Amino acid sequence: MSLVSLSHLCSHLQNASRARLTTTQTPYTALHLSLLLHLQRSGFLSSLTLGTPRTPHDPAPVTQSNVSSRRLWVGLKYYPVTNEPLITKVSMVSKPTKRIWMGADGFGRLVRGGDEGCVRGLRNPGECLFVSTDRGVMEIREAARRKIGGMVLCRVV
Amino acid sequence: MNASRPVRCLLLRPIPTRPASFRSRPFHSSSSHSARRRPRSFNVKTADTGSSPPLIEQFKPYSEAEKAELAKHYSPEQLKAIEAGEQAINPQDLLYQGELRQDPFGLKYLDDLSTIRPVIDKPVRNPESNYDPNLRLKNEDEIVKDFAQWVKDLPAEPTRLDYMKFMDKRRMTVGSEKAERAPTSALAPKLPRINDPEIRYAKKDKDEDPSLVRLMQQTGFTSKDLKKIRTKNLVCHPVVNQTRMGKIRSWYYLTIAGNGNGLLGVGEGKAAEPEDARKQAELRAIRAMEPIQRYENRTIYGEVKGKVGAVELKLMTRPPGFGVRCQQYIFEMCRLAGITDLAARSSRSRNPMNTVKAAFQALKKQRLPEEIARARGLKMVDVRKVYYGGLV
Repeated sequence: MSLVSLSHLCSHLQNASRARLTTTQTPYTALHLSLLLHLQRSGFLSSLTLGTPRTPHDPAPVTQSNVSSRRLWVGLKYYPVTNEPLITKVSMVSKPTKRIWMGADGFGRLVRGGDEGCVRGLRNPGECLFVSTDRGVMEIREAARRKIGGMVLCRVV
Repeated sequence: MNASRPVRCLLLRPIPTRPASFRSRPFHSSSSHSARRRPRSFNVKTADTGSSPPLIEQFKPYSEAEKAELAKHYSPEQLKAIEAGEQAINPQDLLYQGELRQDPFGLKYLDDLSTIRPVIDKPVRNPESNYDPNLRLKNEDEIVKDFAQWVKDLPAEPTRLDYMKFMDKRRMTVGSEKAERAPTSALAPKLPRINDPEIRYAKKDKDEDPSLVRLMQQTGFTSKDLKKIRTKNLVCHPVVNQTRMGKIRSWYYLTIAGNGNGLLGVGEGKAAEPEDARKQAELRAIRAMEPIQRYENRTIYGEVKGKVGAVELKLMTRPPGFGVRCQQYIFEMCRLAGITDLAARSSRSRNPMNTVKAAFQALKKQRLPEEIARARGLKMVDVRKVYYGGLV
């Protein structure tokens, strides 16, 4: 699990949103895919497709040999009238040099808006924290509900 | 014997006392009147005074001399009318009915009750029999028909007067004429304007400040609404413009306006006179008022950031009863906007002008959960409202 590439993804999503792009693409990794799937489930993304650097739709299966030429195409969302992006900020919580693990209790405190260690709670409307657990990547609210601990990945506002 | 007793007493005979009378001896223990009872006040009869003749004799007909005197002032026709009037009234009536009433129900003022006074008297209303339940407004066809009839009946050389008469006499309704011309109303008739310096009428719009009138036209507020809007001067200082003529001083004001219930505006004014600058800033603040989103009418939604110049600040939502714990400028803004729970932190500069602007910017930047949910395509339920029936 490379947090370096994940932080690249975070910066890229933020930059693309600020540039008001409709679609953008990221390298295919298992972590990227699961995080983007959760972003889509939370309603941040309009579409998520598998493709190549040239086309957003390429149904060829991912294999070890072609994974470097696979891309995840991401459709970004904007507010109707003001054209403001839905994703205003995507920031890493765990860093490659400092990973932050937490138990289910800590997740619960964060969900309720409190701070836990050096991690700030969810205090903005619509704010999401994504965590990596042994049951896969999930939203922190789901992890707290299922009483699962894990590593805090990134924060999306 | 006492030496001081006068000699006279010695020389004089003793004064004879009244002999006790058997007749006056009472048969009861209470003291009796020594003399005959007399009324406390004496009755005086009119005849005894001998001064003025009886009242009835005061109302006698005019003598010849008086008539001659009247003839100097009145024409013969008027004299005749006066005499006729004299004859018409019986002096007996004058005596017994022509006097002012002194009883509690008498009028406290002089009035012959010949006219109806709008304030004192019971208003005269149109009779209820004027009401017509079938009254209705004429439709366009009927109005056009009336006009056509009038045009047909016009004389050979119509004048403007004809048209004015038509406009005055035409009916706008179908039904009883009385119901249109003299409708009955439960409302009291309007009082006429009384020309009395003691009575002060409400001023018309004309007398109001022209700048306020303009503000009302621009914002759509009434003068009643404007009175409820509060303003507060937050920043005031002189500013100087350096020209080749020298320094030109003027005054800068920064004012906020709000209604204490979710409206807030910021306005700046600059003028040579501080009073002018203040007024300018206040009017601009009222004009710039915008709705501020408030959670439960007490705090803001989430954490919002604002940045103007070197001022960077963050406004944070807080639970009920927390209060507004922040610097004075943001506190005043919250007070006028009706926010009661809030915390704020200014991380860099604390310039008052930019602080106010940044806080205003931050307050406007809030996103509602409903808006976010709609944009993300998610269903949102406010649990507090669901569980406590919206009472919390």
